[in-house]
Amino acid sequence: MFTSRISAVLATAAAALGVAACGSSSNTTSNSTKSPSGAAGAAPATINGAGSTLAAPIYEQWGSNLKSQGLTVNYSAVGSGTGVADLEAGTVDFAGSDPPLATADIAAAKKKGTPVHFPMAFGAITVSYNLPGTKTPLKLSGKVLGDIFDASVTKWNSPEIMALNPGVSLPATTITVVHRSDSSGTTDGFTTFLSDYNPTFKKKIAHGKLVPWPSGEVGAAKNAGVAAAIKQTSGAVGYVEQAYAIQNGLVYASVQNKAGKYVLPTIPATSAAANGVKVPPDLRITTINSPNPAAYPIVSQTFIIVYQDMCKAGVSSSAAKGVHEFLDYALTTGESELGPNSNQLPYAPLTPALKADDKKQLATLKCNGAPL
Amino acid sequence: MTEIPRISAGRRRKDKFMRALLGVATAVALVPLVLIIYYLIYKGAGQWSGRFFTTDPNGNFLGYPGGIRSAILGTVEIVALATAISVPLGIGVALYLVEYGKKSLFANVIRYFVDVMTGVPSIVFGLFIYIVLIVSHVGGNFTGWKGSVALALLMLPIVARSAEVVLNLVPTDLREAALALGAPRWRVVTRVVLPTAASGLVTGSLLAIARGAGETAPLLFTVGVANGLTFNLSQQMNTLPTQIFTDVTSPRDAIVARAWGAAVTLVAMILILNLIARAAQRRSRLA
Amino acid sequence: MEAHTPVSGGDRQALERSPLARLPDQIMKWGLLGVSVAVLALIAFFFIELIDQSSLAFNRFGVFGFVFHNRWIPSRLVFGAAAMLFGTAVTSAIALIIGVPVAVATALYLTELSPQRARVPLTILVDLLAAVPSVVYGLWGYLFLIPKLKPAEQWFADTFSFIPYVSGHVAGPSIFIAGLILAIMILPIVSAISREVISTVPSEHREAALALGATRWEMIRMAVLPYSRPGITGGAMLGLGRALGETIAVLLVIGDDPAISHFIFGQGYSLAAVIANEFGEGSNIPIYRSALLACGLVLFVLTLFVNGFARAYVLRGERRMFRHRGGHSGAIGGGEVEAAVGV
Repeated sequence: MFTSRISAVLATAAAALGVAACGSSSNTTSNSTKSPSGAAGAAPATINGAGSTLAAPIYEQWGSNLKSQGLTVNYSAVGSGTGVADLEAGTVDFAGSDPPLATADIAAAKKKGTPVHFPMAFGAITVSYNLPGTKTPLKLSGKVLGDIFDASVTKWNSPEIMALNPGVSLPATTITVVHRSDSSGTTDGFTTFLSDYNPTFKKKIAHGKLVPWPSGEVGAAKNAGVAAAIKQTSGAVGYVEQAYAIQNGLVYASVQNKAGKYVLPTIPATSAAANGVKVPPDLRITTINSPNPAAYPIVSQTFIIVYQDMCKAGVSSSAAKGVHEFLDYALTTGESELGPNSNQLPYAPLTPALKADDKKQLATLKCNGAPL
Repeated sequence: MTEIPRISAGRRRKDKFMRALLGVATAVALVPLVLIIYYLIYKGAGQWSGRFFTTDPNGNFLGYPGGIRSAILGTVEIVALATAISVPLGIGVALYLVEYGKKSLFANVIRYFVDVMTGVPSIVFGLFIYIVLIVSHVGGNFTGWKGSVALALLMLPIVARSAEVVLNLVPTDLREAALALGAPRWRVVTRVVLPTAASGLVTGSLLAIARGAGETAPLLFTVGVANGLTFNLSQQMNTLPTQIFTDVTSPRDAIVARAWGAAVTLVAMILILNLIARAAQRRSRLA
Repeated sequence: MEAHTPVSGGDRQALERSPLARLPDQIMKWGLLGVSVAVLALIAFFFIELIDQSSLAFNRFGVFGFVFHNRWIPSRLVFGAAAMLFGTAVTSAIALIIGVPVAVATALYLTELSPQRARVPLTILVDLLAAVPSVVYGLWGYLFLIPKLKPAEQWFADTFSFIPYVSGHVAGPSIFIAGLILAIMILPIVSAISREVISTVPSEHREAALALGATRWEMIRMAVLPYSRPGITGGAMLGLGRALGETIAVLLVIGDDPAISHFIFGQGYSLAAVIANEFGEGSNIPIYRSALLACGLVLFVLTLFVNGFARAYVLRGERRMFRHRGGHSGAIGGGEVEAAVGV
């Protein structure tokens, strides 16, 4: 009676867990029989990272490739700001951030050790919009974009936009501006660009990972959210990393760069932004508003940030080895997966000089004083 | 014989109108349910395939984004641990209130605070666990078991309250008869009270489990994210609610489709639990 | 089992148990007491921790300043939660205005008017709304309701633009949609409790009204509703408590804009949504984290009050029932109904 009913329930629960366990055990055995190729450290390790959504497609793809080598990479695309906060709180092993750490952040992070920046790739921040009637990509300048995003210009057929696009018929629709609602490196890059060209924007909103956007605009979380919002809203405009724009068939504008030319964000134009940029010794580069005349002006760099002595900062030794393996993969095979071909991820890879710098820096990572 | 005054046409019209209005209101109340279930099945059930249940989300930028295997198994594991924590504790509290506390001040204080706990928004539980367990780095960072603790906090008052109701319904005569036969208190509880209330306790627990399985907010800051399958509760894990939450705002149609598929899976799981709970309730030996 | 000693008249000795045999009882009693005390301590700790963590924000901005100042600027570390409080209050108000009448109407229909055979299946259907988890409500709201209702909302905003707070450009996510989803979510709770309350109206009241020649509707209006009002109010307040604390569904449809919108189809924020959205990045900045936890405390206190009132009302209704029914307590104050619909 009582016992039989309870045992029936328990039996069902046990059966369910048993089926699940059966599934898992076959999975783990297959994982461990596939021995890792080449990399040192054969134990199946798990590393946890968080941060930039701009670079998330890259890290998730690399993580997916590394799974067969026994390394599990959990990357949480929560935005550059949260990623850095998580690294400082010690809840992740590595952070993805588009902007380099500001001097104040470095001082805060110094409590746990020295943070080290590894530039990983370059991504174009597109100005994507949803205007079904307009076929050719619009031409926009930093000044006009600043006016659009601080809500001074409110309609698509306003004189400022029409002046840059003679002959293009623009509808009288209200512009729905979409911005990031979370702390974002993409926002930082875009607002830095806008502040360079539009003094009113610089005064009202300035630049940063989180800025006081005017009310009435649509806020969306992560690059994916902004892309989705633009896709769903006719008359919308927003700033989206190129991979997401391509993935979702968004149309983006050509933007006027420092040399005055209107450039579309292509991989060569993105790579051009990286070429000729000054590289400081700690590798904290920035590629926004690059002076290169062939460059797309809104190109963002993206870093992986770790502590130099990871274990002293609280990372377990197996995770530290895992991070080393991850970065090693990134700088050898990983970079070749970025580029303009259809089977590559649409980001510009590191220049050979930067790759060499990264590799040199990788050799300096330690775990409790011992090199990895 | 005097005639019974007839109901005026106006009153009769009003009566008919109001009765129709109430019927329409009921139909209106059911419209969202019908729409939700229709869309879940229409957009979600189509995702169900062998591949959907046997592959994990793979983070691939293009192409098939993967299924929801790790999410389903993560939910099962985390909710199972949460149940193992909250059900014994909840029934324990209820037993105390019914057997010993009864109407004492202390018992009323406990009842009041358990009631308070039911009203706490689920996100506050997640925050609490974050402050107490994650920031202090107790036993790792984001882990599956911390999510279980957060869910257990949410499920405990539900179990405790429904268990108290059910235990109260056990007739006192049964207890007294057992005591009169010389059984010690603990035997009365284990051999008389609990078995009699068993169906009701199972019902209450299943409803709490159904509630816990669907919660997202307590898991947001406690479990972290994971794509791959792991059974290790000391690691970050994937769960159905968090998977849905992450996928729903994606601009990729394939991932949104996966969100629908995961949603219909989750709703199916919860519905089955609810139906079992109702069946158990109907077979109860108590009022 | 104990050794069976024959009970002879007056032999009390034989029935007493040895101290050792009494041990399991003591263990059980103190064990269960311990569990209860632990749960109590946990809740108290919880409350104290929340207050402690919020104190930084309250000290910096003042309690009044934090709660009623409308400036939420994380980039400048200035926090005033008025917009969130506004959003929570307005969405919950919309949920009550739409949800409670429909729920009560449903309850009346199901208990008084529906054909007997349809009663159980329809009741199960209404209660099924409670089984849908909030993330699925959010998904359905975001992917289905928002796009589908947008043209209608824009038409409404344009046609009735003379009414204040109605006109504007509808972007999609809005306070109104959040309120609508909350109305659907609280419907099962309010309906279930209303049904319980209505079914306890003594049949004498109903029959008296009918005997005096009232129509069905008049009987409901004169006999059922006045009697049920405290209980239904209590149920509505429980629904309100649920609406206040709902996080995920609101987060996905409200638009996450920390501003007080000038019209009902504009975007907003809620106390619960801001915590879920921004806690990841705010958790490491002391004042930011404190501000978010202060939002949590405000929310907690709000739900405490509302739930407290609700239980008082519902208990009042239950006590009335006691008097008429002579002692057999219904399930209202006992939580079975709430547990059944997932409160």
